[in-house]
This record gives sequence, C-alpha cells and structure tokens, in this order.
Amino acid sequence: MKTEKRILTLLMAVCLALGALAGCSSNEEASDGGTAGTTFVLGDTTFNAENEEPDVNPHNAYSGWACIRYGIGETLFRYSDTMEIEPWLATEYELVDELTWRITLRDGVTFSSGRALDGQAVKECLEHLIEVHDRARGDLMIDTITADSQTVTITTTEPRPTLLNYLSDPYGCIIDMEVGITEDGIVVGTGPYIVTSLVTREELNLVKNENYWDGEPGFDNVTVLTISDGDTLTMALQSGEIDGAYGMPYASYPLFENEDYTFSSTATSRVFFVHMNFESEIIQDDAVRQAIAMGIDKERFVEDLLDGNGYPAMGVYPDNFSFGGDAVTAKGYDPDGAKAILEEAGWVDTDGDGIREKEGQTLTIRWLTYPSRQELPLLAESVQATLGEIGFEVIINSTADHNSIRVDPMAWDVYASAMVTAPTGDPSYFFSTHCLDSSAVNNGHYHSDELEALAAELDETFDTDRRAELAVEMQQIILDDNAFVFCSHLQMSMISQSDVTGLVAHPCDFYEITVDLRPAE
Amino acid sequence: MTGTVSVRRQKIPKNNIRRRLLFFLLLAGLLMLAVTFAEQICPYDPNAQIFSTLEPPSAAHPAGTDRFGRDMLSRILVGLQTSVLSTLTLVAIITVVGTIIGVLCGHLGGMVDAFMMRVCDVCLAFPGLVFAMAIAALLHGGLQNAVIALAVISWPKYARIARSQTLALESTDYVAAARLAGDTSAQIIFRHILPNSAGPILVTAMLDIGTMMMELAGLSFLGLGAMPPTAELGNMMSGGRSMLQTYPWVIIGPGIAIFVAVVIFNLLGDTVRDYLDPRNSRRQSSANGKKEQEK
Repeated sequence: MKTEKRILTLLMAVCLALGALAGCSSNEEASDGGTAGTTFVLGDTTFNAENEEPDVNPHNAYSGWACIRYGIGETLFRYSDTMEIEPWLATEYELVDELTWRITLRDGVTFSSGRALDGQAVKECLEHLIEVHDRARGDLMIDTITADSQTVTITTTEPRPTLLNYLSDPYGCIIDMEVGITEDGIVVGTGPYIVTSLVTREELNLVKNENYWDGEPGFDNVTVLTISDGDTLTMALQSGEIDGAYGMPYASYPLFENEDYTFSSTATSRVFFVHMNFESEIIQDDAVRQAIAMGIDKERFVEDLLDGNGYPAMGVYPDNFSFGGDAVTAKGYDPDGAKAILEEAGWVDTDGDGIREKEGQTLTIRWLTYPSRQELPLLAESVQATLGEIGFEVIINSTADHNSIRVDPMAWDVYASAMVTAPTGDPSYFFSTHCLDSSAVNNGHYHSDELEALAAELDETFDTDRRAELAVEMQQIILDDNAFVFCSHLQMSMISQSDVTGLVAHPCDFYEITVDLRPAE
Repeated sequence: MTGTVSVRRQKIPKNNIRRRLLFFLLLAGLLMLAVTFAEQICPYDPNAQIFSTLEPPSAAHPAGTDRFGRDMLSRILVGLQTSVLSTLTLVAIITVVGTIIGVLCGHLGGMVDAFMMRVCDVCLAFPGLVFAMAIAALLHGGLQNAVIALAVISWPKYARIARSQTLALESTDYVAAARLAGDTSAQIIFRHILPNSAGPILVTAMLDIGTMMMELAGLSFLGLGAMPPTAELGNMMSGGRSMLQTYPWVIIGPGIAIFVAVVIFNLLGDTVRDYLDPRNSRRQSSANGKKEQEK
C-alpha cells in the first residue's frame, strides 16, 4: 500500500514538473515568434464593439478611429494643434469651382504593402468608402473622383465648404484597396505601424513599418489592449503591465501625478451638455428652462467631480476655437435668480414639501442620462441637489438603454449626454446633428426659424470668417432659447510610463500612436 | 485495509447558548435601534452637498466626506437603514411565501405539488445572483425591483424546507389522530404543521439575513438596486470604487457597515440554530437529570 502511494506521488510530481516545463517552452516560442525588440503596450477603454469600433477598418462604422489612433492609417489632411487643416498625405489642394476640388498627393509615400500612394489608390479607397459607409457618403457628398498620377479631382453634388474637414475624419484614412480588407477587419495603410493580428475586444498587435515615409517609428512592436474598466486600467498601468493608457478615470489621476509617469493633457471639443425636450409640457415653460440653466453649478461640477480636468462651458465649442469659449454668453449658476424667475412664473411651494407647484402640477423633471461616460451620472446627482434647492424634484434615469428611450418624447424631460461637438474642426456638425428640423438626434424637437435660416446660410458659405460669425450667432440663439445647456468641456489626458516619450494628447482626439512615440533616452 | 472514523461530539451547554443568544440579540437590537432612528441620529442631512469634497475623516466628519461633499457618517447610517430594512422585508416576503407554498404542496400533494416543485427546480437551476441580475435589469433597476428580483429567486429554498417538514409531520401519529378526530386541513396546518415546522424555517431565515443583505448590496453595487440620491451601502461602495487607492474612506466606511451588520445577523442566526437544536436540549436535559440523580 505504502509503495503504491509513493509511486503515485512520484508520478504526480513528474506530471507537475512536465507541465511547468511545457509552460516554459511555450513562452520561449512566443518570445521568439515576433515580440523581439522594443514593445509598447497601450491600454485603451474605448477600442471595442460597444463604441462601434470593433476593428481597424476605416470603412466600418467608427473603426477609423482605431485605424488612425494606432498609427495604421493616415488621412489626406490632418488637424494641427489649433485644429486648423494642414496637409498630410496630400500636399496641397485647389478649389477649382464650388463643386470641384483638386488635391495633390505627396510623392514617395507607400502603403505598408509596398504599393505607392497615387491618385488611383486614393480614388479606389474613397469610392469604396462612399459605397459602404452611410455617414461618409452623407458628409462628403462626392459625385465623381478622377485620378491622374499624383492628383485627385473630386466633384461634389452640392457646394461642400467642409470637404477637407470631412476627408480628415478617421473614416478618410487611405487604405490599399488592392490588398483589401480581411474578414477580421484588418487593413493596410500608410502609417508607422502594420497590423499583425487583431482579436476584437482583446488586443491588437502591430509591428514597425520599416519603410515609413516620415521617419523611423520608435518601437519595434506595439500592442493595444482593450481594457474597458477604468479601475483595471489604473492597476494595469501601476503594475507596469501597460506602458500607456487612454481613458483613465479622473479619480485615478492623483496616483500618476509623479515622476514615474508622463501626463499629456489637452482640451478637446468633447462637452457634457443637456438637451431640453420641447414635447414635454413642463419644459415648454421658458421659466423652467431658464431655472434649469441657472441651477446647474458648472464650477463645482468641474472642480469636484471632474477633479479640475475640464472647464465650465459657455457654448458648444471650447476655447481653442475662434467661435468657441467666451465668443458667446450663457447663464451662470444663480440659484436665487432661478427662484425669482420661477416665483414670477407662478411656480410656488404651497404645501411646504420643498417642491414647487403650479396649477396642480409639481415641478418634477425626469433626467435621462447614461453611465458609460462615468461623469454623467455624477452630473445628474450634482444637479439633483442644486435644482432640489431651487424647488425642483429631479428623477434620474441613468441607463445604458438611453438611445431607445430618448426617441420617445414622452419618456423624458431633460437628456444629458457627452459628445465631441466639432470632430472635424468645423461648426456645422453640431447644429446639423442636434438642432435643426432635419437633425437625426434632435430628439427634443427644438425648432427655431432663425436658426434654420442661418444653418442654410452656413451650408453654402466658404469664407471661414463668415462661418465663424454664423457659428457664434447660431450658438447664441440656442442658448437664449435655453434649448441646450452646456456644462463643461473636457480635458483629455494620455498617461504613459516615464520611460516612454511621444504619447501626446491631441485636441481632436484622433492621434495617439505616432512616429514620435519612442523609448525615452 | 481497515480504518476507524471518529466523530467529535461537540457538547454546547445550553446556558452558554442562552448567554450568546442574549448577547447577539442585544447587538442586533442596538443595530435595529440605530437603523430605526438613523435619520434622527445622523449629524447632517445625508443628501446635502454642502461640505468640501473628499475630506478625510475628522472630528467634524468622523467618516469623511464623499466626492459630492456629503457627510459619509450620515450617509452610512441612512444607507444602513435602507439596506437592513430592505433585507428584512425581503426575508419576510420569501419566508412567508415560500412557507405557504411548501406547506400547501406537502399537504395537498398531487398535481399542485408536482407543478410547484418543478417551478422550484427551475429557479434553483439558475445561478442565484445572475438570475436576480437578469430580473432586476428587466424591471429597470431600483431598490424595490431589486427586492422583487431576489424574492423571485429565493423563495424555493423555503418552499422545499416547508414541504419536507410537512411531509414528515403528515406521517406522524398525532396528525393522523387529528385527522381521525375530524380536523380540517386548515386546522391541521395551523395547529400541527406550522408550529412544528417553524423552527427550521426560522433558523434558515435568520441565517439568510446576512446573505440577502450581501446580495442586495451586490445588486446595488452593479447599479441594479438603489438609485441616487438614496443612500444604500452597495451603491455607496460602487460610487467609491475608483477611489479605493486615492480616497479609501469613501469605500471603507460603507464596507465596514455591511461587514458589521452581516456578521451580527449571521452570528445571531447561528446562535438561534444552536438554541433551537433539539440535540442540545436533550443533552442539556439529560445532563441536568444526571446531576439531579447524583444529588
């Protein structure tokens, strides 16, 4: 019996040892199999299917963001730090007439497949884009594309002053359509890194593009890990599992504000804002809308709940736009003023429960928001308290299902959301999507004749100064109508280990992994 | 191969159990007192966002303040009230509903019994909390709906216990005698079955309080329970999750409150079980008998 036991124990020990050795050998194979040299690992909260970004194919939903962010693809034009359009794969453009643009391409650029970038390659790529991508087709309004050596001539169906801005959108990444798009959504671009493998919601592996046209990329390999949970991302950066992070929760920032990490922050055009539902009887009362606008303590929200990583918003656009920041005026936090306005409009607390009433109706508003932008529920709770002091009852509905609820105008009074208001650097985007009769997400059914007329003028105006003037006028209209309340613009930060340089936050939020990313010397 | 199995016979003197029971009843009583008068004893309005944010514990704010500038101690007290009262309501619901169904199934038998037991099987086949999450999400969250979700998944355990007790009691001589004497079903259930099966059900309910409190807090932690500005320990911990390393008091305070409440109810449940255990009573009475004989 004892001998049997001994033999069994020995066998188990041998099995364990073999298992351990097998583990070692597979690790060695992995390290020999393509991770030689320097490697940069980025943790990103947004690279996933929930954000309509399941792969790196720019012709699929919002996957262009991954294509451009991770250094795979590049666009014809790009945004400077001041959000001005500047050449990238193109060198210059000429507006031949209102409908015709002639774009000259950069010489000496090749796709990572080895194919030279020329007019024909751009034509094939853009033709495929407008064939399969509804949003791009609507934005670009391309009629014909003609290629001639290093020149591309694009005609549009209507005057399109913002064509270059839209060509700079991530969906405008130029990819090699001769190689095509794999089933996994992998593409070949002109960027500093080349995709080797992609597992949606898990990781993306890239290697250096040895023939990159604009210098030598700093790392031999790059891995992008999808880490959707902010706390996991925090701990991954602390443990050194990742070298850089995008989407870090503001509450974790103090952990990285020391010499072991590098912070790069910039103001973006992402804004937290509130839509009023004009189908709601209570919101139709101008006094109620005014009181809500005056009852949101933007300063406290930014200082306490965003930990100072933003600044109170006046209008739609941030300070770094000529038509943003203080170019417009908006109501500030004034609880006493809000109370006076409500009193004057007949909203009085008659039963002493702290909530005002008027003609038998209580001053109750249903506040719809969603938790995936983690500061939105915080804004809701903050507003619940400050509006509560004024005499409102605020019922919060923070749900991931907000997109289906907000299309029902009977289901909410106020909807708080976050969005990049000027992804293309041009003012027309926000109004065309949110404020007009034709807007896709004007779920509150706001209407202003004056705004419609100015929007029509904006659509046909090429002069940038006049466009900026129109943007200011249009913002002031929606602010005076209290149709939207803009709470704060966000500061966006990229955090990296201190032994890495070049991971820099950009105001348009498009560019992350660039040729400048490299180990610190 | 031969071997012996030794069973350690643990004898717990009844007096010790009684002392333990009184002690834990006293603790539970104090907890219930704090819970009942939470709003009166909390130092500040738990929802008032009036203090500077994320202040560490101090004399003015013994548990610090949260990111909205609310006093944590006040919120913990009111959160404890929400958690404990919801849990007691939940346990009361599942105990009553489960017992009624179990007793009826055991007493009536037949199709009703077969059908209800298959429903129990279905409920018990799912992982509890996952099933509760699904129901709570279907009902769009909220504390009341979280209680309903947990009630839906938790009653079968009580139904099973009550049913097995009923079946065992149905075959006893005194129930047979009662039946012969012409007692109606209701009389048999209320006079004989319920009083005699109450012990195991009560013990299960006492032991379940801690578990249910954790599960309710778990649903709130996941955003499927209490909604703001309601203070509830689970959602307070969820709100402070990202600040565990930077401002730990925001999460430690509610964590300790849940821990203390769950431990008190679990130990009380354990002691009640020991107290009601007939083996302990027999040993105690036989020990007392021997002592009297020696005298």
